[in-house]
Amino acid sequence: MALLDRSDWYDIARDTNWTPGYVPREEIFPPQLSDPYGIPVEQWETFDEPYKVSYREYVKIQREKDSSAYSVKAALSRSKFHDDLDEGWASVLKLHYGAVALTEYQACQFQARMVRFGPSPSMRNMATYGMLDELRHAQLQLFFPHELVSRDRQYDWAHEAAHTKNWAVLGGRHAIDDIMMCRDAVTGTIMVSFAFETGLTNLQMVGLSTDAANMGDFTFANMITSIQSDEARHAQLGSPAIEIMINNGKKKEAQQAVDVAFWRMWRLFAITVGIPMDYYIPLDQRHLSFKEFMHEWIIRQYDRQVRDLGLETPWYWDLLADDIENHHHCQQGGIWSWRPTVWWNPPGAVGPREREWLEEKYPGWNDSYGTYWDVITDNLLHGREEKTHPECIPIICNMCQIPISNRPGEAWKARALQLEHEGRRYNFCTEPCRWIFTTDPDRYKHHLTIVDRMYSGEIDPPTLDNVLTYMGIGVVSEGGRDGHDYSWVDGFRTQAAE
Amino acid sequence: MSAFPILSRFQNDCHVKVVEAEPAQSIDALAEACAYHSIGVHVKDQPGKILRVRPTSDNDDAAPWPREMTVAEAGIKYFDSIDIYFTDPGAG
Repeated sequence: MALLDRSDWYDIARDTNWTPGYVPREEIFPPQLSDPYGIPVEQWETFDEPYKVSYREYVKIQREKDSSAYSVKAALSRSKFHDDLDEGWASVLKLHYGAVALTEYQACQFQARMVRFGPSPSMRNMATYGMLDELRHAQLQLFFPHELVSRDRQYDWAHEAAHTKNWAVLGGRHAIDDIMMCRDAVTGTIMVSFAFETGLTNLQMVGLSTDAANMGDFTFANMITSIQSDEARHAQLGSPAIEIMINNGKKKEAQQAVDVAFWRMWRLFAITVGIPMDYYIPLDQRHLSFKEFMHEWIIRQYDRQVRDLGLETPWYWDLLADDIENHHHCQQGGIWSWRPTVWWNPPGAVGPREREWLEEKYPGWNDSYGTYWDVITDNLLHGREEKTHPECIPIICNMCQIPISNRPGEAWKARALQLEHEGRRYNFCTEPCRWIFTTDPDRYKHHLTIVDRMYSGEIDPPTLDNVLTYMGIGVVSEGGRDGHDYSWVDGFRTQAAE
Repeated sequence: MSAFPILSRFQNDCHVKVVEAEPAQSIDALAEACAYHSIGVHVKDQPGKILRVRPTSDNDDAAPWPREMTVAEAGIKYFDSIDIYFTDPGAG
C-alpha cells in the first residue's frame, strides 16, 4: 500500500489536541511549568515550526547518523591519533567533554518538560525529537571520551564533572539550572532553543568541527557534526514561541528572557570556545580568531535574527563587543594561573609567535595582556616557577561564577560591581550580570560562590588541599599543569641568547 | 576581631583578588599584603614608587587613606573593595 506524503497528514496529526473534560486545563498544564504568561490555548495552536519531520523519518535519519558516528568511534580504538596528540587540543577535548556531556542529560530533561507541559501540541511534538536528540548527545559524549580514560584520567571528567563542586562546574550548573532546569516550558524554549542554541551553540559546533578536522581529529569532527545536525533542527522551537508571545502582548517578557539567557551563556561560551580558539589550538592550525568568529558568525547573525523576530538588539550590545575583546583573554590568564583547580592542562601558549598573532588579531594585546604574561614569562625564565602559582584566590562573580577580571596594564579595568541586597553584599563582573540579579533577586540570592563557601564554613578549614578536594581535584583526577611543560617560553630564551 | 577578607583591586592587575586584612594592620601593611599577591605574580614592580590605598569608587577618584591609619580606623569591612596604586614619592 502506498504511503501518503508527509504533507498530506502532518498538520492534522501534529495538531491533535483535546479539551479536557474531567479536570481543568490548568491542572494538566500548571502555569508555572507550562505558560505563566496566560496566552490563550488557541493562540498556542498557531505554533508552526519551520522544520518538519515525522517519527518514521526521524528514526531513519538518526539511525544513519548513529551508525556513522559509532563506526568512526570504533576506528578510534585502533587509531594512533591520541598517542602524539598536542596537549593543547587534548585540553579542548577534556574541557568540552567535562562541560558538555552530562549537561546534555539536563537538556534532555528540559526537552521532556516541553514534551509534557508545552502549551502547543506541535511544540510538544517537536520537543519529543529534541528530547531524543539530547539523550543521543549525552550518550555519544560519554562513550567517546570513555575510550580515552585508560590513557588519561582527566577524560573521566566527562562522566564526573557534573557530580563535583569544581568552580568551573558551579559556573555551568548555575547558568544551566537558571535557563534550562528551573524554567517553565515557554520561557525555557525562548532561553534555550533560541538564545542559547540558535544564538551560540549551533554555529559554534560548525566552527568546532572545522577546528577538529584541521587538527586531524576526524572522530571528534564527525561526532560534533552529527550532534550539530540535530541542534539545527530542534533549536527552531524557540522562534515560533517568541512570535506568539509578541503577538499576544508579551514582547517585554520575551525580550528579557532572551537577553538574560544570551548573556548567561555568552560568559561560559567565551571560556569553552574563545580560549581554545585563541590559545589551545596550535598556531598553525587556527583558522579564525575568536573575535573574528564572534563578529562573523554570532554577532551579525544573532542580532539580525533577534530583529527579524520583532525583538530589539540586547541593551548590552556595546558591553558585549567590549567583552569579546577581553573576557576570554582574562580567563586564559586566570585558568592558567590557577591551573591546579581545573581538569585539563591549559597551555600558556604565549610564545613570541603566538604573541605576534594575538597582537595582530587584538591590537593592543601586548600593552595589556602582554604585561601580565611578561611577569609570568620572566618568572619562568629565571627559575621562579613557584611565583606562577598565586597564593590567593580571585573574587568570583555572584552571577556567572567566573573570576572577576578585566583588561590589565595601563587600562586597569578589573573591578567588582557590588550590590547590597537584604543585608548581603554581592559582587558582579559586569553590568549585565548585576542586571540579571536585579531582574529576580529571590531567584539568585541564596547561591554561594566557591569563595562564599570558603568563608561561610562550608569548606572547613579553607586550606588549599581542602579546597582542591572539595572541587574534585585529586579525587576524579589530578588537576591541571601547563599543557606544554612551559616550552612556549623557549622562544624568549632563544631571543635573549641572540 | 580577627582577620577578614577584602577585595584587592591592584593597579594594572587583571583580577580582583581576595586578601586577608587585619583590623590593627596599618594601611601601608595592608598595601604590602595586597602587593604580595600581585607584584611579581601578575604585575610588574615599579621600584621607587609608593603604594597608596583608597576605597574603590566609580571614577577612581576617592582620596587615599593616611598610610599609618589602621584598617579598623579606616572603616574597611568584610569584602570591601580597595584600590592599591603606585604613586611617586611625595605625591599627595
